[in-house]
Amino acid sequence: MLIDANHLALTLDGNTILKDVSLHLKKGEVYGLLGPNGAGKSTTIALLLGLYHLDKGELHHFSKQDTDLVSIRQRIGVMPEFAGFYEWMSAREYLVWYASFYGGLQSTPDVLLERVGLSNTGNKPIVQFSRGMKQRLALARALVHGPELLILDEPTNGLDPRGRREIHDLLIKLATKEDVGILLCTHLLDDVERLCTHIGIIDKGRTLLEDNLQHLLIDAGKPRYRLHMISIPEVQYLPPQVNMIGQDGSWCTFQIDPGRDMAIGKVWEDMLDHGWVFDEIHAERNTLEERYLALTGARQDNHEEKAA
Amino acid sequence: MNASSLIAKKERSALLQNQRGLAWLLTYAGILSAFSLLLISNRELSLLDNAQVVYMMAGTVTAAGALIAVIMGSDAYAGERERGTLVPLLTAPVSTGELLLGKAIGLASAWVIMYLLAIPYLWAVGANGQNLGQAIFYLGLFGTPVVLGFGYLAMALSSRSGSVMSSLLTSLSVLLFSASPLLIGPGLRNSAIGKALDAVNPFSGALNTFDAVIIDSDPFTSQVGRLLLVLVWLGLTFALARLSARRPAFR
Repeated sequence: MLIDANHLALTLDGNTILKDVSLHLKKGEVYGLLGPNGAGKSTTIALLLGLYHLDKGELHHFSKQDTDLVSIRQRIGVMPEFAGFYEWMSAREYLVWYASFYGGLQSTPDVLLERVGLSNTGNKPIVQFSRGMKQRLALARALVHGPELLILDEPTNGLDPRGRREIHDLLIKLATKEDVGILLCTHLLDDVERLCTHIGIIDKGRTLLEDNLQHLLIDAGKPRYRLHMISIPEVQYLPPQVNMIGQDGSWCTFQIDPGRDMAIGKVWEDMLDHGWVFDEIHAERNTLEERYLALTGARQDNHEEKAA
Repeated sequence: MNASSLIAKKERSALLQNQRGLAWLLTYAGILSAFSLLLISNRELSLLDNAQVVYMMAGTVTAAGALIAVIMGSDAYAGERERGTLVPLLTAPVSTGELLLGKAIGLASAWVIMYLLAIPYLWAVGANGQNLGQAIFYLGLFGTPVVLGFGYLAMALSSRSGSVMSSLLTSLSVLLFSASPLLIGPGLRNSAIGKALDAVNPFSGALNTFDAVIIDSDPFTSQVGRLLLVLVWLGLTFALARLSARRPAFR
């Protein structure tokens, strides 16, 4: 278990911010932490990173092997919501400097930059980076030391659709091939549906739901996804649990019969491996969004947190 | 390289490679240039005794150094927070003590640069006199704890305050209050309140020492009390910064 958090509570300046938050994340899982504005998501992340002292509850990292905060952080990669850098440095210089806190880069800075889609930008001063490039650089910073656990706060903010997809693919690869546990804090339910194996929904400082995403979707009926296809293979192999139930121009609708422990990321990866090339995934709206709104209360003002 | 050294390295590069850091160094050099030009070219000031001129220059270097240290100290935590670079530091395997030490070393390095920059100016206004060496020595001995103390005080405020502006204004107010005995003139300085302020004020302590050793050529032994005062000031401000930066505000 990478994170084993039970009944966390936190009071800051006399205000109870977290009342009862639980979160469990294992290797290779992608955990989506959802909740409306002010629900306590960022505070929960700060608490997990040791930036606050826990008032109540139990929190263990890495199956209680580590208790020292500095050595715990040695195994975690963090991408905060606001990606700030020392902008007079070049991307390469910055990554080398930051990696020194962890004992050095796991690979070369150029390999790392290429991995996040920033090839040939190593010598460029960060001040010249666009917002999307900074977002990618923030992900590279989180990966400098090859972490076992990644904590990402709104990782696809400011990225165009192609950039989002590239980051999705990288995260899927990290979780499925490198066994990295990923805690994803996002407002985008599409990101969650595409990436996550597990979700936790919190509101007003309490965990309302914590479950395997596929179990949740089974409960809501067989999930359907609309994929925007760039190309469809001539020999239309589909994974056994996937059925194509419709096509409207370049949009195809698939129904998925999820196994209890299936990761949705693996389904997409399997399809990509067999020549299905797509650039957008939309879950049909009878699934996660409805469940999310039902739990957090559709009563909330639309302008507050509109789940995309 | 340990975490403190890495942070100190970044602080040095922020001063020497970043436009903002270079702008502060240029401002500092500009203040010293303008003041030394005034001392040399102004008819009334150029009539001053050479020792008096060196004393005034040493005081100016200390004041300008303290001002830059306050600006840098105010930016140390609050500026990082505003630019979104504090959280990556706090979530890296770096203890808050190492972070503070790195920033403290960075500030000390900045003062070393400012001190070295000041030497040609002291030489320019005091090369003909006999107390230039003493001025340089006592500027290092007394100026260092005074300047760093103001920087650490600003750091302590910066680690808890909501913005650079609020910590900067508070630190500047303390700096101005410390300089007030010098601004209120000799009459008020000789009053009971003026004397009391002089006795506990590190800024006055340094300037009174410059006065005693540069103008009156007093021996080192007569300055031990004032040296203790500025060292206590340095120790107290660093302890305050350590206490305050133990759990810095990061949002």
